[in-house]
Amino acid sequence: MQSNKYNDLLDRLENEELEQVELGAEVYQQLMAIYLYQNKLANAKLLWMRIPDKLKEDKELLHLNQLNLALQNNNFAEFFQKIRYDWSECVKPTMEDLLVKQREELFTLTGSAYVSIYQNNLLQMAQMTEDELKNAVAALDWTREQDGDEVIWLPKAKETPPTGRNDDQLLKLTEFVTFLEN
Amino acid sequence: MGSALENFVNQVRTMSASGSFRELADDLPESVSLLARNWSILDNVLETLDVQQHTLGVLYVLLAKLHSAATANPEPVQIIQLMRDFVHRNNVEQLRFAICAFYETCHLFTDYLVQKNLSILGIKIMARAVDQIRQIDSQLTPIHADLCLLSLKAKNFNLVLTYLDGDITDISTAAAECKTQQQQQSQHTDANNDAKYFLLFYYYGGMIYTAVKDYDRALYFFECASQPRPMAMSHIMLEAYKKFLMVSLIVEGNIAFIPKNTQVIGRFMKPMASHYHDLVNVYANSSSEELRILILKYSEAFTRDSNMGLAKQATTSLYKRNIKRLTKTFLTLSLSDVASRVQLSGAAEAERYILNMIKSGEIYASINQKDGMVLFKDDPEKYNSPDMFLNVQTNITQVLDLVKQINKMEEEIILNPMYVKKALGSQDDDLTSQHPKTYSGDPTD
Repeated sequence: MQSNKYNDLLDRLENEELEQVELGAEVYQQLMAIYLYQNKLANAKLLWMRIPDKLKEDKELLHLNQLNLALQNNNFAEFFQKIRYDWSECVKPTMEDLLVKQREELFTLTGSAYVSIYQNNLLQMAQMTEDELKNAVAALDWTREQDGDEVIWLPKAKETPPTGRNDDQLLKLTEFVTFLEN
Repeated sequence: MGSALENFVNQVRTMSASGSFRELADDLPESVSLLARNWSILDNVLETLDVQQHTLGVLYVLLAKLHSAATANPEPVQIIQLMRDFVHRNNVEQLRFAICAFYETCHLFTDYLVQKNLSILGIKIMARAVDQIRQIDSQLTPIHADLCLLSLKAKNFNLVLTYLDGDITDISTAAAECKTQQQQQSQHTDANNDAKYFLLFYYYGGMIYTAVKDYDRALYFFECASQPRPMAMSHIMLEAYKKFLMVSLIVEGNIAFIPKNTQVIGRFMKPMASHYHDLVNVYANSSSEELRILILKYSEAFTRDSNMGLAKQATTSLYKRNIKRLTKTFLTLSLSDVASRVQLSGAAEAERYILNMIKSGEIYASINQKDGMVLFKDDPEKYNSPDMFLNVQTNITQVLDLVKQINKMEEEIILNPMYVKKALGSQDDDLTSQHPKTYSGDPTD
């Protein structure tokens, strides 16, 4: 499971934090990165608040906090700008995952929230080059239109594939009916 | 002096060995002052006692150590280590004979950590203490409040949330425990403290949920903390009531219900929380501009109560609520119209608000940048998707569990001799005993 990927590491780090007095910046960096990836923004904010003052000067932590602020304000442009950074080894994989996840989220959101969107605005939000955008959009089957000088994209809402098994559902329904009848 | 301490150690050792823990628990409170006076050599005393075998003795030495912490000024690390050791290795059977002393030790330990700014190290210890002393998982103990306080101070809620998420069905109070232990002399203050720790638990819990932005749950906790049951009013209740009003605005947009016992609220709380009632009234007018001005006017009071953040959240929630109201009237609207109707600064800001609301699923709409219009849609949920089925499923399971729990509790009450006596005594006809359900609504009766 993709979203459970970091759970073990997270548990370990959280435990470590509860038991030790002086922690290095690295633990906090990893914790912060995982919170961001799991979209636990309130946790990330609280983490930033409890990081000791002297560690707050750590460049990477500062940067991670800026990412969190951008996410909290739903400021996509700033987020994609800030994530372009030379991350250290311990958070790099998480950051890459986060980037992929947020890109996906952005396109799902624009797909459902916009009937039409100017290419410029989309480029600004996603912080992509025109070619990158073209590729991403082509995969989603969006329609392109020309409005004067500007390009407009007409997104197509994504359909969610059905999940869950029928047998399971039937079983649970039977359980429920049994309860009602008794 | 030394011989008095030797007596103490001997007493603990012989009585623990012979298993007369009740007598020991009754005698020990008298030696606290003796121990506290001899704080300098308590470590030697500890060396002669074993946590597992002489839990009660060690507990009182710890208590004395914490009592004398102000004068003795011990190494924080040492105290923490002692406490950690104690909660991990003590003998719960013995501990139950001196629950009051254990609660007191925990309270003192918490205060000590907060003072030393080391709250984060106490969280696990307190959690372990709660696990040990509660008889069932849904029992609330006075030290729950300590756990919450430490978590709040340390701003670390991962662990405490697991304790808050469960429902509380039983309360362990120091007064009740002490009654069984015949320590009447201090019972009166204990009863007051019980109320205090009960209120504190819900107040802190509400603050924790507010911090992690689980406003529904926070509202419930603040409601519990501001529902006044006793005759006298507590300051905790007042503060909880203020926060209750604020969170209620954020969650519901109005004050859905005033907690019971309106008399106390009308007489004491309302006049003391007048700013907050003004805020509620202005919020009801749906004018963001007026709300902003009012918050500015009262900003000093809100900041003093450290409720400024909540006030700002309320402002944002009003913008959102107004946009939501538009969706009920209009099918399409231009972005600049939206901005002027809900008093936002311009089309761009309106677009940002709408996009955020779509993202969080508060409204269903699509934005057309080409014409600068927004199209409001109905909830696309047709209640035929597997996800929705799963959702309904979990809700049903929850309700079923709740029904079971209620049935179980009702049974307990019906079987309670006190209840049977009262139910039969107050009403002469036998109808009541045949229909005990009429009483189940009020278990305190």
